[in-house]
Amino acid sequence: MAQHTEIFEGCTIVINDTKLTINGKEIDYQYDAAKDKFSSKYMPYTLYGSLLELARAIAKNSVEFSHVQE
Amino acid sequence: MAIRKDANTLTATERAEFVAAIQELKAEGIYDQFVLRHANAIMNAIHRCPAFLPWHRRFIFDLELELQRVSGNPNLGIPYWNWPSGGANASMWDDDLLGGNGDAGGVVRTGPFRSGQWTVINSSGLPAGPLMREFGQNGLPTLPTQAEIDQVMAVTPYDTSPWNMNSNPSFRNQLEGWIGPNLHNRGHVWVGGSMLPMTSPNDPVFFMNHCMVDKIWHEWQIRFPNQGYLPANGGPFGQNLTDPMNNTPSGQVGSRPIDVLDSAALGIVYDGAVVPPPPPPPPLIIVGAAPIPADIATAGETDVFRFEVPTFGPHTMFTTGPSDTFMTLFGPNDPNVEVTSDDDAGDNFNAQIARNLSAGTYYLRIRLFSPSATGNYAVAVRSEGAPANPVPELVVNGASIDAAISAANESDVYRFNIATEAIYTIETSGTTDTFMTLHGPNSQIPEIDRNDDGGVSFNARIQRQLSPGEYFARVRHYSPIGTGAYSIRVTQG
Repeated sequence: MAQHTEIFEGCTIVINDTKLTINGKEIDYQYDAAKDKFSSKYMPYTLYGSLLELARAIAKNSVEFSHVQE
Repeated sequence: MAIRKDANTLTATERAEFVAAIQELKAEGIYDQFVLRHANAIMNAIHRCPAFLPWHRRFIFDLELELQRVSGNPNLGIPYWNWPSGGANASMWDDDLLGGNGDAGGVVRTGPFRSGQWTVINSSGLPAGPLMREFGQNGLPTLPTQAEIDQVMAVTPYDTSPWNMNSNPSFRNQLEGWIGPNLHNRGHVWVGGSMLPMTSPNDPVFFMNHCMVDKIWHEWQIRFPNQGYLPANGGPFGQNLTDPMNNTPSGQVGSRPIDVLDSAALGIVYDGAVVPPPPPPPPLIIVGAAPIPADIATAGETDVFRFEVPTFGPHTMFTTGPSDTFMTLFGPNDPNVEVTSDDDAGDNFNAQIARNLSAGTYYLRIRLFSPSATGNYAVAVRSEGAPANPVPELVVNGASIDAAISAANESDVYRFNIATEAIYTIETSGTTDTFMTLHGPNSQIPEIDRNDDGGVSFNARIQRQLSPGEYFARVRHYSPIGTGAYSIRVTQG
């Protein structure tokens, strides 16, 4: 996935080569070669099969980005 | 003493007390401080690493002390989430305890932490909406079973290199959930919503999940008393037995893994848990006697020995035999204060430590260098005769002695003689944060006083009535890894 942009759960996800941003904020992530999975400090309990899957999970569940109202 | 019970067995009164205490801490802002302590820790320093278990043991212990304070109940314990009987229909999710699952949008609308009554915060501490839950909707539809817990309970050693989520075999990694049946992580992911990010303590079930994790570790420690925490040394900083853990404040107990290894010492009791008999004292090594044969019979095992030093002097602690041993020296008089460690200073991969030791009881922890190896060895301690560096003498009302803590964990000992019963002051000066203990009379072993910052700035100062006799002052840096110069003197008055 060289370049991908989408709006998910009200957040703008941009993947440009290996760089991931959500709402313009660059997201640190790790790729574990042994498990072939992606993970991030934002989601410490889960590994994801793709960078897009990780990005969507952060956008939906991290309170830094989610937009759920009372 | 905190009595931790299965959340599904709490009485109505116990449920109300727990909920009220949580709500009071939220109102005080204390609860959110715990959320931030977790959210702003370095993720890989408290997860996916050996310190995962001790870090969270200390974390929930600290919250428990706050719950006890606001409730006025010194026995209030955090309930544990017993996963095998804690599914969506369990009573812990009733409206008088945690409330239930989120609505179609994930918003929790039942129970004491429902929308409008409970607001989560982000990692900056700002309000970030309602509590969210999505039971079983994030790829893990079921909770751990008792058979899966039993499977993890049989794994040794505690952990192994590379000390991360690829460590195997590793009890810690299996309990955390990166290999094996997935226990802890599954609790987070099964609840979903607010339990997924680093701000997961926003949901009070976080503490019940980690109480269950801690209970399993506690029971594993009882089952395998010779399986110590690993790494003792040589792992990443913050992960070794005596390293300070990330984002863990000073408190009632220390911030190192070694400070929280013993649940009983922390006053924690689990209902229904096996109560272990008090452990026998470690085998005694007679200084100067022939080496004691021992072995590491199972991988990851650690043996502990003790020996007595009657007076200050040079000593050599060493192993012999065919195994590649690793030795750590603790003391004096405290099995948790590390002095130094060694891998191969002896012959043929044996460990050897040569050091001047003050009077007191010391402890040797011996393991094999490889956490996956087993093997035989023998251990001994010998005194090297006359002290290489006699204990320097302080003269009452005399000149100061200038000295320095020049290495981590170093302590200096001084002696002084009191001829007349009176009040005396022993104090340090300088820019080093010193800590001082006073021992005597006429022995280095009984501690009669201690002080951290009673002097000028961060200097130690002890002032007390002393009867005639010889006394000993021991000075160390407040920080186990601190160094620095200081001066010390004794004055009457």
